[in-house]
Amino acid sequence: MIVTAGWYMGLAAILFAIGALGILIRRNALVMFMCVELMLNAVNLTLISAGRELGTLDGQVSVFFVLVVAAAEVVVGLAILVSVFRNRATASVDELAELSG
Amino acid sequence: MALVDYLPFVVMLVLAAGFVAVSLVASRFARPSNPTPEKLAPYECGITSEVEPTQRFPVKFYLVAMLFVIFDVEIVFLFAWASIFNELAWYGIAAAGIFTLFVLETLVYVWKRGALDWNVKTRSRYAREHFRIEEAA
Amino acid sequence: MTFEIDYLALAPELVVAGTIIAALLLDLFLTRSKKYWVAVLSVVGVAGGLVPIVYMLAEGGTRSMFDGSYVVDEFALILKIVFLVSGYLVLLMSVSYIEADRYYQGEYYFLLLSSILGSLVMSSSRDLIVLFIGLELTTGPLFLLAGWRKGDAKSNEASLKFFILGVLSTAILLYGMSLLFGLTGSVEFTAIAAAIPDLVSEPALALSVLFLIVGFAFKASAVPFHFWAPDTYEGAPTPVAAYLSVNSKAAGFVAMLIVMYTALPGISEVWAPALWVLAALSMTVGNLSALRQGNIVRLLAYSSIAQAGFMLVPFAAAAVAGSDLAQAFSATVVYLVIYALMNLGAFAVVIAGARRTGSGDIDDWAGLGQKDPVLGLLTALFFLSLAGIPPLAGWYAKFVMFASVIEAGGISTLVLAAIAAVNSVIAFYYYARVIKAVWLDTPSEELLARPGREYAGSIKLTLAISMGLTIAIGIYPTFATYFGEASRVIATGGG
Repeated sequence: MIVTAGWYMGLAAILFAIGALGILIRRNALVMFMCVELMLNAVNLTLISAGRELGTLDGQVSVFFVLVVAAAEVVVGLAILVSVFRNRATASVDELAELSG
Repeated sequence: MALVDYLPFVVMLVLAAGFVAVSLVASRFARPSNPTPEKLAPYECGITSEVEPTQRFPVKFYLVAMLFVIFDVEIVFLFAWASIFNELAWYGIAAAGIFTLFVLETLVYVWKRGALDWNVKTRSRYAREHFRIEEAA
Repeated sequence: MTFEIDYLALAPELVVAGTIIAALLLDLFLTRSKKYWVAVLSVVGVAGGLVPIVYMLAEGGTRSMFDGSYVVDEFALILKIVFLVSGYLVLLMSVSYIEADRYYQGEYYFLLLSSILGSLVMSSSRDLIVLFIGLELTTGPLFLLAGWRKGDAKSNEASLKFFILGVLSTAILLYGMSLLFGLTGSVEFTAIAAAIPDLVSEPALALSVLFLIVGFAFKASAVPFHFWAPDTYEGAPTPVAAYLSVNSKAAGFVAMLIVMYTALPGISEVWAPALWVLAALSMTVGNLSALRQGNIVRLLAYSSIAQAGFMLVPFAAAAVAGSDLAQAFSATVVYLVIYALMNLGAFAVVIAGARRTGSGDIDDWAGLGQKDPVLGLLTALFFLSLAGIPPLAGWYAKFVMFASVIEAGGISTLVLAAIAAVNSVIAFYYYARVIKAVWLDTPSEELLARPGREYAGSIKLTLAISMGLTIAIGIYPTFATYFGEASRVIATGGG
């Protein structure tokens, strides 16, 4: 059996779906961040495998930028979570219901 | 596709919504309803956690981890530059130099703000001098 | 090996970037009582960014860099003016607000300027990577700005909700981009557009386009992806809410239009109906929800969702009918320019009014007109303009929108126009409700007894600028038409 780029794309699609489901199901903000990371890594896998298949560098270059943006977002997210935790002592998004309507 | 070609989708949507509505209503009447707190818990079996885990990490660990992630990832761009270092020559060195300067500026910022100060006491003294600290929080 | 870099074309971005770096350093070395210099520097920097833009507009022509990935044409320049001017007004609004809070002033301006820089980059992008960077630079700092009041649970919640949905939309958008790249083999819009005709039957292409639309719709808070917006606007500091409702919304919106227009015109049969639905839903749901709001910031949040729907109308209509997209583009840009001015004005009124009444509830604003006639008059004018009453600028925005829809023709287009017309009437009702509270309701004892706290000069300046321009455009619409006509020239890169 030859593993082609299509297999990687399929794996990426599955990872993306798992991440998306996780966001919908899990209610802990930290776990939700992890799910987003999973989705972003699925994107990276797609970019890399497509780039390799096509023989261009564009895919890899895109991954650099996605990586950096993802790191920045994690840091921002953790900072927000820390400040939420200080005020509330909870990480569950369901208990954040002050604003609605 | 014209707008009309989406008609099958609309039919499908109506069917799907109808199915959901019918089965929800039907099950409401058909099922016995006897909820207990255990049944409503996300994990029906296993040990119920009484409280949130009380262990709290000092926030400075988070801070160091965040700073690590940021400075770690900056290197990615230098890696790209290093792979064609020879072709870019002085132009590349100048560009990478400017980039590094800006990364250094963030280091200066972090340092001056006291984020690298492991001793939380001295850090809060710095903070007291420079910002209003929310006493209530 | 060197690259051809046109430094004049990059000048606005360079000026703003330089200001960002200088602001961060300056803040570190200033004592607390001198922090306002950071604000001064930021305002000057943003205004300075306008100088090269005006020069390039006068000179004309299109400048293209990095193999057509970064294009500075009239369309980009016009958008940069919109982003810089609205950023300037938000900075002015922020000064007194942030100074009252007293902590982390420097960082506030640093983050806001970074976001402005992101929107400048985004408007020139003709490439998926640059577009993504620009868009993320626009929204990234806003997650932090929304949670600015760290001790306040509402502000925390606002920023956490915004963050989770924001990164989710980023992931969806990126997945769409990666599929698009995989299928077409390029990240550049012209190359993508060239590759599309061979791929029309590919189901994955339709999927990637839908992912892109979902991602952009989150950023532009179009219904049904709007849930974060009202909560975030209410919890965030009011100037940040103003920025979110104008700049960041416009950034998501414009990014969507650029991609659809330059990269994906070949499969408009996929995205045109989607945009049609987004426009119709945004108008209707936004307006109907706004009717029920008691808090003025939430009312403006829903109203801005509805306004985004109006903005989408010309483009969706032209795409569905298959008529000239350039015409729709200019109608949308005219709407955007006018909307930015009057909405920022409305938010400035909210800041001033909240200082006067000490509340954000419309009921507590009863009789504000008696207490402070000037502010009452401004409230009436801005809300009437949002409702589209002549001779204020809002009417011209609506007029251009309807004109371009009628030009497009076709049944589905006319249905959309009818929906828009009904919604304009609904919108008038809730805008008028605010005006009624301010002028016709009797003021409470409490309000009359409140000491007349003076609001800052920078707020007055914001109000004066936005009001002046709103009236000027309303009476003399040629000014806005110029923006629309110029923005027709959207170059697609490729050198």
